[in-house]
Amino acid sequence: MPMSRRTLAALALAALVLPLSACGSGGDGGGSGDASGKVEGDITFQTWNLRANYKDYFEDLIADFEKKYPGTHVKWVDQPAEGYADKISADAAAGTLPDVVNVSPDLLAPLAKAGLATDLDKAAAQYEKEYLPGAWDGQRIPGLPGTYAFPWYLNTGPMFYNKELFEKAGLDPDKPPTTYDALFADALQMAKKSKGKVATLGNVPTIEDFGRYGASLMNKDGTAFTFNDAKGVELLTKYKQLYDAKALDPQALTATPESTGKKFLTGAVAMNPGSALDLENFKKQAPSLYKNIGITDQITNTGHVNMYVMGLMVNAGTKHTPAAIAFAHFVTDAENQMAFAKKVAIFPSTAGSLDDPYFTKEDGTDVTRVRVAAAKSLKTAVNYTPVLFSDQMKTALRNEVAKALQGKESPKAALDNAVKACDRLLKQQG
Amino acid sequence: MSLTENTPRTGRPATPARRLRFTDEHGRRIRTWELLLRYVLLLAVLALTVGPFLWQLSTSLKGPTEDIFSSPPAFLPSHPTLHNYARVADTIPVWDYALNSLKVAAANVVTNCTGSALAGYALARLRYRGRRAATLVFVLAMLVPAESIIIAQFTTMRELGLNNTLVGVVLPGSVAAMNVLLMRNAFLNLPYEIEEAAYVDGANAWQRFLRIALPSVKGTLAVVAIFAFMGAWDDFLWPLIVLSDPSKFTLTIGLNYLHGTFADDERLVAAGTIISVAPLIVLFACLQRYFFRGVGEGAVKG
Amino acid sequence: MASSTVSRTHPPRPAGRPAARPARRVRRHLPTSPWLFAAPGLLVTAVFVLYPFVSTVIDAFTDRRTLVPGHFVGLANFRELLHDDMFWTGLRNSVLYVAGTVPALVVLPLLLALLVRKNIPGITFFRSAFYTPVVASIVVVGLIWVWLLDERGLVNSLLQTIGVGRIGFLSDQWLLLVSAMAVTVWKGLGYYMIIYLAALAGVPRELHEAAAVDGAGAVRRFLTVTVPAVRSTMILVAALSSVAAFKVFSEVYLMAGPDGGPAGEDTTLVMLVQRTGTGLTGRVGYASAISLVVFAVTVILMLLVLRADRREDV
Repeated sequence: MPMSRRTLAALALAALVLPLSACGSGGDGGGSGDASGKVEGDITFQTWNLRANYKDYFEDLIADFEKKYPGTHVKWVDQPAEGYADKISADAAAGTLPDVVNVSPDLLAPLAKAGLATDLDKAAAQYEKEYLPGAWDGQRIPGLPGTYAFPWYLNTGPMFYNKELFEKAGLDPDKPPTTYDALFADALQMAKKSKGKVATLGNVPTIEDFGRYGASLMNKDGTAFTFNDAKGVELLTKYKQLYDAKALDPQALTATPESTGKKFLTGAVAMNPGSALDLENFKKQAPSLYKNIGITDQITNTGHVNMYVMGLMVNAGTKHTPAAIAFAHFVTDAENQMAFAKKVAIFPSTAGSLDDPYFTKEDGTDVTRVRVAAAKSLKTAVNYTPVLFSDQMKTALRNEVAKALQGKESPKAALDNAVKACDRLLKQQG
Repeated sequence: MSLTENTPRTGRPATPARRLRFTDEHGRRIRTWELLLRYVLLLAVLALTVGPFLWQLSTSLKGPTEDIFSSPPAFLPSHPTLHNYARVADTIPVWDYALNSLKVAAANVVTNCTGSALAGYALARLRYRGRRAATLVFVLAMLVPAESIIIAQFTTMRELGLNNTLVGVVLPGSVAAMNVLLMRNAFLNLPYEIEEAAYVDGANAWQRFLRIALPSVKGTLAVVAIFAFMGAWDDFLWPLIVLSDPSKFTLTIGLNYLHGTFADDERLVAAGTIISVAPLIVLFACLQRYFFRGVGEGAVKG
Repeated sequence: MASSTVSRTHPPRPAGRPAARPARRVRRHLPTSPWLFAAPGLLVTAVFVLYPFVSTVIDAFTDRRTLVPGHFVGLANFRELLHDDMFWTGLRNSVLYVAGTVPALVVLPLLLALLVRKNIPGITFFRSAFYTPVVASIVVVGLIWVWLLDERGLVNSLLQTIGVGRIGFLSDQWLLLVSAMAVTVWKGLGYYMIIYLAALAGVPRELHEAAAVDGAGAVRRFLTVTVPAVRSTMILVAALSSVAAFKVFSEVYLMAGPDGGPAGEDTTLVMLVQRTGTGLTGRVGYASAISLVVFAVTVILMLLVLRADRREDV
């Protein structure tokens, strides 16, 4: 299609006129809204894939808050699991973030850096003592002063294993591995005995695995990654051996948490990390497996298990700072977190809550056993996921790990490349 | 109507195939073995194209005790149940979401039919400076990768204050470039003579468009309508980004909810996919007559 | 095209008006009315497609990120592309996708159209049924096929039953790409079938009859009569399907996952755009540069095909 000169001129004109306001958005300076003042106004509260299962809990919670503070109105929006980061970034870029937002630390970091999250050390420091110190610290961002979200629920999961498969492989079903070395030995034996039919693990190592293995993940200032140290290389080398022996599922390179879950249900994988929530699922979906399920602690060399911390961020641009802060605090206070924990298999991040009998007293059921064990390990748990570890970095690590497992690169080279890629991404984050 | 079927390349009207049912389009008899072969092939392709949907339907009807992984596979549920559909309805407000999808899709049909008919007519029939440039705008628009402009689209939408509204969901696709070009083509294929008389009678462009040109391209309009409905009904990422309020969500987002929450329950996901795809299939089955007529007009020819 | 020659001379010029400029003599409307007709379409396209696209073009020369406005960096993004392994992987896969799907989508729907063009009983049902995959959304299609090709899904159950054994369609780098291509072809069959049906309606029957009288077999008639007659349509289908194939995103994303298969080896260019450019830490500038490459290649593909079409169609 030949372009006439007129057409070109028109396009050039359009190119000149249209983009005048193309760029430029983002935050205007760090927010440190003032929490003093009357708690009133309409605020929006956004959660992440919680409506499907916990609608009633949140509706009651909001009703309670509105009763406690007449003149407030909370609008609850829940977003699907998929596309959450896209949704938040579109809102953040356009300045339409809700007033109170459910964020994980890796989502919080860029938002805080862009000045979109309220610094709670300035606006709500009085609440700090209500939370577990580790949980409150978990909402700080390396390189930035301040704390940017109320700690909400914690999660950690036990390791499930298939006792029957352990027994068949000549392993003691009552003594599951607890350290990585024991795990690797058992996995190799399992693969050998089952002639490669049963893998022990279904997932490639994640950044948390490197942490629990004892590799150091980042330098002290949070300016560079270090998981390519001796420990890191050792871990990946071991995984390569497992992969070659089919002790790591051959499909681990494309696995998703759901697909590994399915493999565990069908007995193709012998061990799988999970949460207390999964137990109900096993009971329903695979009653025959349920009898054979063993539950043990997360595999760790450091003595600390990994935990995930969810937070509630207060939008720095909210028009009703007092109400937003009051609400975020209300949702995350000891009483309401406890109530939530009794509905879901999660754990409160408030100080003292884990000493509640609900988390310490066994009653003989498996569900309780998992809960009590998890609550106990949470007291010393560490959030191994570096706050600055973005989605792009996760992808870079996964891709390099895959290359090492396939034998396309040596473990050392793969980790060096991953660290290089992550460092570059880190620098670009600014 | 006869005018519309007369594209320059069609020599004569279609052979009356109705009188003799077992003839081809040229009026020749089809031999029995050839007929048989044709049906065998047709059934094979049918299994390939529709089979996957039926398997999904079958999975969705299987009860919780049935093994859905068995080998050899069980094609029919042994105890068909609607339980999974009830669970979908418990999890997400299916009817509300379906209503939102319907609103968005209906609006998209109206705007696309109107907007692309008008623009297509202008591109094909009216003479003015800049017509080529206008055509080029639509051609280029078709080549832009949608994934790369979605954030910019959202920012624009917010500046217009239309984020989190169903209007905002509809607007960007409300006059799709592809549809404009389809309509342009349909109008181009109309013989010029049919407008001539009206022109001589002093009808203006608007009257000629409305009374003469438009009725002659009904078939293409049906094609555009179906494309517009499908496009709006099926879209996921854009509605997700532009909408915040769950009460405004569309069915595709609801389906994603299901998938995100119950990814390991194939029966439930299957029920969800059937709920989202069934209305489209029904709609298409109802409109297919117009659709294929539109095709005959050369709507999608190029 | 014949119709456009006709259109240029009709309708006749209004009496009493000098035919000073071709553009004026066929006007019987206020000078603004063509623009009024085109206005809604142009407005929507300009505001929601071209304007965002122009800002994408500008972003490609900046280091803009999702939450940080960018600075002009010249060609730095494009220089980085040259050294980005993932970019070359993406380019390779997008090109492979074109090579793998376009021939199938040019030929198979034509055969299908020949199969359903004869008016035998029940043929309308078959035509509509073959169109069902087009009607379903890509998300639904993805879910259905992931379930079918699952290690324990229907296809593998059948393979196991007939003794072939299970195949990891969704775990091997190449099988994944091939499976995604198969889904693209599956979903596109009906769509292009319709385009061919329309074209076949225009093939004069004398051609076929003459060939039949000559005693040409079905295959020869197909090659000597049908193919030349629908040649320009085949080129159109090639154009549409290659542009779509080069921009492929959903099929691979849904089947190989957001990472693009093992070690990201199944990543396509548009997946790379999505992965680098979205999210809170998205590198909008760099992703825009990749978008520009995608856009440039599709424009070139389109021009090549249109040029081939022109040569045929005169």
